[in-house]
Amino acid sequence: MRKLLASFVATVLLAAAVALSAGAGEKKYKIAVVPKDSTNAWFVHMEKGVRKYANDTGHNAFQKGPAKTDAAQQVQVIQDLISQDIDALCVVPVDPAALEPVLAEAMEKKIVVICHEGSPVENCDYDLEAFNNADYGAFIMDNLAKAMGEKGVYTTMVAHVTNASHNEWADGAVARAKAAYPNLTLLAAEPRVESEDNSERSYEKAKELFKKYPELKGIVGTSSKDAPGVARAIEELGLKDKVFVSGTGMPNESRRFVKDGTLSYITLWDSSLAGAAMCALAVDVLNGVKIVDGLDLGVEGYHKLMFAPGSDKVLLGSGWIVIDAKTIDDYDF
Amino acid sequence: MPGPGNLEEPMRFKRHLRRSEPYIFAALLLLCLAVELRSGQFFTGNNIVDLARSLTVPAIFCIGEMLVLISGGVDVSFPAIASLSMYVVSRYLDDYQGTVALNLFVGAVLGLVMGGLNGFLVARFRFPAMLVTLGTTSVFSGILFGALGAREYPVPPPMYDLGKAKLFSAHNPVSGLSSDMPVSILLLALLLAATWFLLNRTLTGRGIYAIGGDPVAAERAGFNLFRIQMFIYCFSGALAGLTGVIRGSMMLNCHPTNLNGMEMTCIAACVLGGASITGGKGTLFGVMLGITLMTVMANSLILIGVPTYWQRVFTGAIILVGTGVSAYQALRGRRKPGAVARRAGHA
Amino acid sequence: MTENILEARDVRKSFGGVKALKGVSMSIRKGEIHCLAGENGCGKSTLIKIVSGFYEPDAGEITINGTTYDRITTAQAIREGVQVIYQDLSVFPNLTVMENLAINHQLMAGGTLVNWSGIRRTAEAAAALTGLSVDMTELVENLSLADKQLIAISRALLSNAKLIIMDEPTTALAKKEVSRLFGIIKRLQAAGISILFVSHKLDEVFEISERFTIFRSGENVVTGDTGGLDDRKFAYYMTGREFAEERFAAGAVPGEPVLETRALTLENGFYDVSLTLRKGEILGITGLLGSGRSELAKALVGYVPADSGQILLNGLPVRIASVVDAVRHGVACVPEDRLTEGLFLIQSILDNIAVSRWDALSNRFGVIRRREVEREAAAWIRSLSVATRDPLLPVQTLSGGNQQKVVLARWLANDLKALILNGPTVGVDIGAKYDIHRIIRGLAGRGLAVLVISDDLPEVMSLCNRVLVMRSGRLAGELAVKDSTTEELAELSMRE
Repeated sequence: MRKLLASFVATVLLAAAVALSAGAGEKKYKIAVVPKDSTNAWFVHMEKGVRKYANDTGHNAFQKGPAKTDAAQQVQVIQDLISQDIDALCVVPVDPAALEPVLAEAMEKKIVVICHEGSPVENCDYDLEAFNNADYGAFIMDNLAKAMGEKGVYTTMVAHVTNASHNEWADGAVARAKAAYPNLTLLAAEPRVESEDNSERSYEKAKELFKKYPELKGIVGTSSKDAPGVARAIEELGLKDKVFVSGTGMPNESRRFVKDGTLSYITLWDSSLAGAAMCALAVDVLNGVKIVDGLDLGVEGYHKLMFAPGSDKVLLGSGWIVIDAKTIDDYDF
Repeated sequence: MPGPGNLEEPMRFKRHLRRSEPYIFAALLLLCLAVELRSGQFFTGNNIVDLARSLTVPAIFCIGEMLVLISGGVDVSFPAIASLSMYVVSRYLDDYQGTVALNLFVGAVLGLVMGGLNGFLVARFRFPAMLVTLGTTSVFSGILFGALGAREYPVPPPMYDLGKAKLFSAHNPVSGLSSDMPVSILLLALLLAATWFLLNRTLTGRGIYAIGGDPVAAERAGFNLFRIQMFIYCFSGALAGLTGVIRGSMMLNCHPTNLNGMEMTCIAACVLGGASITGGKGTLFGVMLGITLMTVMANSLILIGVPTYWQRVFTGAIILVGTGVSAYQALRGRRKPGAVARRAGHA
Repeated sequence: MTENILEARDVRKSFGGVKALKGVSMSIRKGEIHCLAGENGCGKSTLIKIVSGFYEPDAGEITINGTTYDRITTAQAIREGVQVIYQDLSVFPNLTVMENLAINHQLMAGGTLVNWSGIRRTAEAAAALTGLSVDMTELVENLSLADKQLIAISRALLSNAKLIIMDEPTTALAKKEVSRLFGIIKRLQAAGISILFVSHKLDEVFEISERFTIFRSGENVVTGDTGGLDDRKFAYYMTGREFAEERFAAGAVPGEPVLETRALTLENGFYDVSLTLRKGEILGITGLLGSGRSELAKALVGYVPADSGQILLNGLPVRIASVVDAVRHGVACVPEDRLTEGLFLIQSILDNIAVSRWDALSNRFGVIRRREVEREAAAWIRSLSVATRDPLLPVQTLSGGNQQKVVLARWLANDLKALILNGPTVGVDIGAKYDIHRIIRGLAGRGLAVLVISDDLPEVMSLCNRVLVMRSGRLAGELAVKDSTTEELAELSMRE
């Protein structure tokens, strides 16, 4: 009897070992993507990319985020995910500092952590950016400068002054203006305004700015709520064609303003591609692929990743696009 | 201490000083003057119109919140009610082309039903209003984001037209700026008048104050507690639903998360304006002063020139000081010697 | 028969298995002031609620104005002219005097709109009925308790009251206010209104009523003319126990001084107070409201520290600037308003007893030794005979007397040198009052120095061996209890 039992155990063990080694080459991973706000159209669009990636590759990649942009809620979501036995965690942090402890916890549990729009995060394997934040800021500035005729006073708007990417873009825009457009000057009294990621607030703040500073001719928007909100203010105040706004924006929300010219250009990267690229990077890390300059994730705009200068963590793609009145109808999200 | 002469007058004056309205009014005036001094832009037509516009939505919320506070409850669910109504009206009436009255009506009815749920739980089971409304907030948001999968959505044409409709444009010849007075402000005025009438001229209104003062005594006096509480929460829910539709219209776009956090602003405004967290007290005038102060503050920090990094500190400090003054006034009222029931005992 | 406005015959009422009324009968004559007395839980409130229609009796009948009811509804009771002034007065603190007076009237009249000029007229008429003279637009929360009570009475009169039931209306009133209330009651009587006056204070029963009824454990023990009643009988009827009249005699040799004050002064409180409290004595301090007696008590325990002067303990000057200082020096105070100042009402009896001893009852890491707390609390509950089923119940479930015992227990649990009691039996029923007095005497007998501050002159006379009288913030005289009478004491404290 004992013999029989022993051979049974041995068989089971053997079978398990075989199954494991056989699966190693094409192991399917469980990857969670955590956006800032699962209801935001931008991240709804990101989820499409994650789903598509899951369908194409067979990995169990899914998106789950807080119902509103709230750092504490995001921590909660991540905590729940950690206990669900995931292999990789891809996060778009609301507030990098607030996330560090929970991300450290994830890494301790051998979960691969990939961030997006979170370059200051320390507790991650890699931070994947659609592009170099400074370059993207410069790109926004190029568009704004074009609209402003390369002269005048401008300022920058961010969701919160604690938001990492928004501020790096804004810094990039300011640096670009300094370097390339000698006739553009930054509004010294209010170089950076908070819009709280709320288009009603960006609308109200823009009105205040234009009242207080009549010389103000342009605003760099970073949050996707900034540009449409500012455009609404421009339209109402009767400042169309006198002041200009350019910045990140979602085509659907901005469509009307872009078409009638109140909003000069919106720039963005495709969040669905970013979502897919995060998953792809996570799988490469899990599979032990060596992460070096020139890495190809097989996702559009992420074919030739480069490490950010001086960093071995932050990887940059080149995935930005600009949309104007002519091209806006090509996008439906 | 009182000087010679008529004793009645100084007493009346002192009584007014025990209220919070004079302090809030003074604070508001100071703030306005500060903005004017720093920017020269405060007392311009278009700035006033801008403020009126920003005030509209939170002010209507405050009316509902105040009613609930007076009755001794608190409602934190109105942003969720408003968001759900806004979304349902935008999403499921998106082909509707008729008058905006229907959108507003549907929004109000949805809000009324949701408020009715709050009211039923509070009035029937005597659950604490704070917990009930926190709970229903989760339920309503759950329906909104879970069941309906809400996200940003364009508003239907009648709402869009309401958002663009203006009573007049205030044009500032110096700066060349003009601002539109939204038609929705009429709705605010109408609701203020109706609520004033309700609170001061109807027995139901007096009942709201009575149950906030002492629910047991109110019941003994013959007020129907259940009916009055149901009424309050239905009313406040209907206001929230209506306001959701107005907000969507004014933003020309339905943002289901846009109102999150508004409950704290509105409760703070009510308390600033003299409404008591423990019930029984509050006037429309005071609460409107409170929300005006909050709105002016939120929309004047750039005009005053408070650096971005200090804006939240500044706002927090004003709320702390303001509610602190209110609380201190209330405390002083209670400490007044005559007001304390002395346990003097018996022979 | 028609002489009686109210007759209750063999009324019974049980709640669950508890028999609150075991067949009580009583009658109130037209235009009389009838006193209903009894200890807490004797069934007084139950009867009131049956008469006013809030409870339905299990058996028995009630005749009001010649109409007999098996059960009466609130509406019928109001129509028959029965009005109850509850202890909490049922006024709305946040509304004006005017509205408080007229709100019931408005509700009765029906309709949906408020008629403000009608309210003012009604309110003024109501105020005229009792001689209430306060600003009609003042908020009721800013009025004294006595005025609030007048509002409740005026409001009752508006509803054509024929029988007004007042539930312990004097509990929280000062003496002057009590006499004003009595004046009004007499006037109501003259107007032909009957009064059922619920009280357990003998002197009030004597002063105001012609007849009395006493309940004990759900039965009516006795009904009679007030004239034939005295202290001993009253206490016996209420409690079923005999109490011997006692006066406290301090030890033959007065102990050494424990607590002394020298020229103690608190601006707007008391001035130049020098007194000596000796070991084993009970020193009384009495005086009218506002004489500075309460302020002195608060200063002695550091609650409101004195401005100048000295406090000496065992002959050494000490600084008592806070309650913590006082407790550290072994001086404790049982406050005047135990409900707000002394007890954590919703916490358990056990925790309330242990609260000032957490230091002693916790180990060196600050962790509370729970079992020791329970043992100690149980011992106190036994020795002070606190009537409770379970020490883990909240303090608010106890009667006033038992709450006071809990406060006592808390301080007695500390090693005390001196104990200061401010109004120790305010709002306590007679049985508990005797118990508390017995406990205090026992403490003094064991050598504790006790200072009793009270305006209850008979209490001071029977409890203390020496009495100091305060007047307008100053010590005005001293009496040795054994060769003085209550009248002499009263005269000394009232003298201008």
